[in-house]
Amino acid sequence: MTLLELKNISVHYGRIQAISDMSFSVEEGEIVSLIGANGAGKTTTMRTISGLLTPSAGSITFGGKDITRMKAHIRVVQGISQAPEGRGIFPGMTVEENLDMGSYGRKDRTKVADDLERVFDLFPRLKERIKQRGGTMSGGEQQMLAIGRALMSNPKLLLLDEPSMGLAPQFIRQIFKIVTEINNQGTTVLLVEQNANQALARAHRAFVLETGSITHRGTGKELLANPAVKEAYLGVG
Amino acid sequence: MSTTDGPTLIPDDASAQEIADREAKMRRRKGWFPGLSDRWNALPRQTQWLILIVVVVLAYLLPILNPPLITTEPGNNWQIALAQMSVYALVAVGLNVVVGYAGLLDLGYVAFFALGSYTAAMFTSPDSPYVHIPYLWTLPLAMAVAMFFGVVLGVPTLRLRGDYLAIVTLGFGEIVRILATIIPAMKGQVGFQNVGHPPGTDSSGQPIFLNSSGTPWYWLTLTIIIVVLLAAGNLERSRVGRAWIAIREDEDAAEIMGVPTFKYKVWAFAIGASVGGLSGALFAGQVGFVNNQKFDIATSILFVAAVVMGGTGNKVGAVLGGSLVAYIPLRFTAIAEFKYLIFGAALVIIMIFRPGGLLPARQSLLAYGRLAYNKLKGAMGDIPASGKVVLEPGKGSGNE
Repeated sequence: MTLLELKNISVHYGRIQAISDMSFSVEEGEIVSLIGANGAGKTTTMRTISGLLTPSAGSITFGGKDITRMKAHIRVVQGISQAPEGRGIFPGMTVEENLDMGSYGRKDRTKVADDLERVFDLFPRLKERIKQRGGTMSGGEQQMLAIGRALMSNPKLLLLDEPSMGLAPQFIRQIFKIVTEINNQGTTVLLVEQNANQALARAHRAFVLETGSITHRGTGKELLANPAVKEAYLGVG
Repeated sequence: MSTTDGPTLIPDDASAQEIADREAKMRRRKGWFPGLSDRWNALPRQTQWLILIVVVVLAYLLPILNPPLITTEPGNNWQIALAQMSVYALVAVGLNVVVGYAGLLDLGYVAFFALGSYTAAMFTSPDSPYVHIPYLWTLPLAMAVAMFFGVVLGVPTLRLRGDYLAIVTLGFGEIVRILATIIPAMKGQVGFQNVGHPPGTDSSGQPIFLNSSGTPWYWLTLTIIIVVLLAAGNLERSRVGRAWIAIREDEDAAEIMGVPTFKYKVWAFAIGASVGGLSGALFAGQVGFVNNQKFDIATSILFVAAVVMGGTGNKVGAVLGGSLVAYIPLRFTAIAEFKYLIFGAALVIIMIFRPGGLLPARQSLLAYGRLAYNKLKGAMGDIPASGKVVLEPGKGSGNE
């Protein structure tokens, strides 16, 4: 079943077009990767899906419902949750307060505890540092916190914006392992990455984004083998 | 998930954390009262209340005690000085909701103060041709009027961020003052005299609330401050308060956590404005005279300085900052002329040695922390719903 569908989406910053006529869909249970260079429109796409930006043309449907004009804070309740680029945690709040904010829009308080358990199972590190302020943690832990916080809203679709940004290779491998684990637990994942190698290897399907439009699409393995993608994003060719 | 394999040259989990910890420690500065808020939070509830009661009683006794060295006499009447300080403290508490909690830089707060003053003046002064109502009724009315204009100003401008919002509010602050000058009904520089006061006469038949007697005004304002502080404390710990803190920390992140950021920003603006209006009405009553000269931009900046000095986001700090801003020029009359120079220097010094203000805001976040902990734990069913979890003092600060 199609969970998310973007149809002919265009996004402008003032007069500058960041995304032109983009269409793609995400099926339930998938990991989908969007890869591309700086300025290709990856983060813009994510912010459009989460509702922080409004498209100038086109439509977005989520679970069969048109959400093009829906406010970001209502999309969270509908099941779209984003771990923003550059981690975007609340630096002055502790790990615990950050996670609590993740469940802000929820009414089912009893199930929140289950999700907290789930986050601590995925990231035991967060449990150890529950009283520490987000801003004083290492980059990898902030990324864990951002993903954990996004999971606290019990989303149907998890949007991850560059989870590997600025992290040591050790962390990158670990984060991607956890992304697969989250997906195995039943959450659909849409991933935006510059680290094409990992992102393609983990994805069921993937898209290559260049200056605001999709230039290649296919399964993760297909794109890994595609000579053009190889040359441009995998550093071989 | 093993993180020990792979080449050892790249930083692993533990060493990266070590670096982050070290950097965090270096960034933290030792204040004048290190760990004051931690120690306060570690005290048992009863002790906290006891200390608070003593402080409040002392505050009420201030005009009678007239403590030497601290007093503003012989230069200025100490009781009237206290009344003015309390009005400034109330202003700072209100502005702290906007600037401190929600992180919205409002440089035109004096406009709401002015609206409150004019409301009180135009409905009580004999110079005003309009309906006259008892002075005490103008207090809620001033709050309503200021709140209305807070929403009117907030709805179009709160879509702006940071610098833009500051500029627009700065403009609004001037608009009210200029309107007071050009609208004949607001009487410009002539102003309104004999603004009303609360009822009541003493044994000799004199009204209790005279413009020349500061003590009753001080007690009235102090009582209102306590009520407002209690309300602000409750707000801080509520869903609204948590939303404000999240907006202040990262607005986009708050929005994608499900916080209706725009709505809560308007709320902060409206609540802040209503307290500003209330303090304006008290100011008008105490001074007894309102014209367009008292509501300039410099006063607005002074209000912001009060909040920043006290510790942005800390309501008790705001009371302290507001009182200080009013107190310094009254105490040191010889240098009152240079008050802005002194405030500038004081602000620079405070920002260097105590970047969070005199009483930094971490205290309020800690209060929230306890709540978050209880809620998450409570949801797990580990503790009974009514059970209070008291954190060990050492645990609260983590390894910051």
